[in-house]
Amino acid sequence: MNTLLAVIIGMLTVYLTYTRYARRIDRNVIQSDPKRATPATLYMDGVDFMPTNKNILFGYHFKSIAAAGPIVGAIVAANLWGWLPAIIWLVLGVSFIGWASDYSGIVISIRNDGNSLSAIAHRLVSPRSRTILFMFIFFYLLVGASAFVGIMANVMESQPRTHLGIILLTAMGLLLGQMLYRWRTGLVGATVLTVGVTLLGILAGPWTEGIFKSFNAGLNAISGGTPLVTYFDPTLANFKGADAQIMPSLLFWAIAICVFCYAGSVLPIWRMAQPVVYVGFWISALSIVLGLVGAALATFIKPEVAQFVLPAFKGWNPQLGPAGIMPLWPMLFVTIACGAISGWHALFGSVGTARQIENEADMLPVGGGSMLCEFLLGLLALLAVAVGSKGAPVGAFATGLGGFISVWGVPLQYATSLAFAAFIVIVLVVTQLLFRVMRVTLSEWLGDVIPPVRSQHVSSFVCIALAILVVMTGTWIYLWQLLGGANQLMAALALLLVTVWLASVGKSWYYAGLPAVFMYVTTIASLLVTSYNLYFNVYQINLAAGRVVPVIGSGLMVMVALLLIVAALFIGFDGWRAFLRYRRRPAPAPTPATARA
Amino acid sequence: MANEAKAKKKGGLLGIFKDIVYGMSSHEMTRHAVRQRASMEHLFILITMGDLLGVPILPPYYSLRLLPYVTPQIAGWKRRMLRERDVTDILG
Repeated sequence: MNTLLAVIIGMLTVYLTYTRYARRIDRNVIQSDPKRATPATLYMDGVDFMPTNKNILFGYHFKSIAAAGPIVGAIVAANLWGWLPAIIWLVLGVSFIGWASDYSGIVISIRNDGNSLSAIAHRLVSPRSRTILFMFIFFYLLVGASAFVGIMANVMESQPRTHLGIILLTAMGLLLGQMLYRWRTGLVGATVLTVGVTLLGILAGPWTEGIFKSFNAGLNAISGGTPLVTYFDPTLANFKGADAQIMPSLLFWAIAICVFCYAGSVLPIWRMAQPVVYVGFWISALSIVLGLVGAALATFIKPEVAQFVLPAFKGWNPQLGPAGIMPLWPMLFVTIACGAISGWHALFGSVGTARQIENEADMLPVGGGSMLCEFLLGLLALLAVAVGSKGAPVGAFATGLGGFISVWGVPLQYATSLAFAAFIVIVLVVTQLLFRVMRVTLSEWLGDVIPPVRSQHVSSFVCIALAILVVMTGTWIYLWQLLGGANQLMAALALLLVTVWLASVGKSWYYAGLPAVFMYVTTIASLLVTSYNLYFNVYQINLAAGRVVPVIGSGLMVMVALLLIVAALFIGFDGWRAFLRYRRRPAPAPTPATARA
Repeated sequence: MANEAKAKKKGGLLGIFKDIVYGMSSHEMTRHAVRQRASMEHLFILITMGDLLGVPILPPYYSLRLLPYVTPQIAGWKRRMLRERDVTDILG
């Protein structure tokens, strides 16, 4: 297997899914009508509801859904089960479930006056489903932010070459905000300056590696070279399990990332969060475009970086730890989330993109098209890890992506540095936004009951403290799978809601209903497996050894998993009853669509 | 009509590419700026609420001066204020 063949498979998947399946559903089931007025045109308020060109919306939706998820998921799954199951799930997932979820999230909002999924659930399913959904979203954000902080802290501790680039990214983000909003500098000049300096910092990473290595060593010398915490990690020693250590340098980088996220959460959005995202966008876009085209060309120009070195299949149930289980079903289906299907997309599509859709004919290219492009991003991550070295997963990804970028003539050392930095940038910008959304969600959720939580500083601190607590469990793979379970469950609930809506308006519901059932059962099973693994592999073993920190963290993670399952069962039960109620009712007579002005 | 088609053709692939890049890089920033402007407009509406209702609450001279600028915003303001909102709205 080589990268060219994989890219061709990816392109064929996109083409066939879009033209042979998605268009058919759009035409025959949803019956999108370009003459029907959309909420953006009906309720145009110049702010949230604003008709926008479909190309702009495509870029906006794609950028909002394509972040760290498709990259990290593909890396982890390829290392657990091999590249073949990962690529099969990516292809089948996006073809039959992923695009349908994204597209339907937009459709259901447009056909329901631009309401959010929770508002529609309140009306169509049951009032309590909205409250449950809020709680669900908070824990989903918590697990997501923790998983991202965990992986970033590990990469930054082990890769000192990335530090200069990330420090400069932060500095340039702050400078860009100042230039654009205070000094009123032109966008093009400010972009060239800030992105250029950040890029130079990233490329200069290998030269400054020694300085930051010494810095990490100095941090570790504080504790005399002994770890702060020792705990049993079932994923170490080739998945047989071994003692892991949290060194002061790891804690330092985890806290540094949280301070960055705290600033991004409480400062005005124009001051830090937005400009950092903007600078980060150009860095990651450059790396992804160079990498994707490089992956296709590598077979001809540099064949040695195009051959897969990772095994195609590693087994149905790679054991993780002494009592661990990691069955391909259901765990693969939550480990790779965003490149195949993701709940975040439907959630975002319903409140962000749907309110800007100008014409119903744009729903499919924007919603379905963006998801199919995100699948290509997941495929690129999978290719990078499949051709990379057999080292740590993120290291293998960076080596692989660096190889693809080196096809363009960039020396491998610098190309790998760029790939590492691109990975951290993509994860970092998402994490700061997650914390920002999480603190608002917490304030809204508990602000009336616990008034101090209304303060942005208190709510940000609570969110970050919870995330650090979860990160310190040390079992990152389980944390990632918990996030995948929550994310996919959100997708299943979105599809369930779409199914109920389709039944309520007398349309064929199979294209959404069957994937909803599959994802619902799979994700609940995966949350149970993750709880089992955490309890037997982390909680019990560390409890027996008298280690407190991982016991608290893994106990917390088990509780979150069980809470998500209970919430999903409530929504599932209400959804099923609503579905039966609408199915028994005679189909409503078709109502004439409101014509566009 | 011919000019319109010509302009469309001129945009062509480059125009589509520009739109997509703008959507990915800057559309979110534009939306945020628009939201900020809307929140300022809400304040103006609040200041002139008394005059809109015919009840001068604040010293009327200044609010009456503002009224011509506020009046065109009333329709959009009503839509924004009366729309049902929830936590997930912040994601958009």
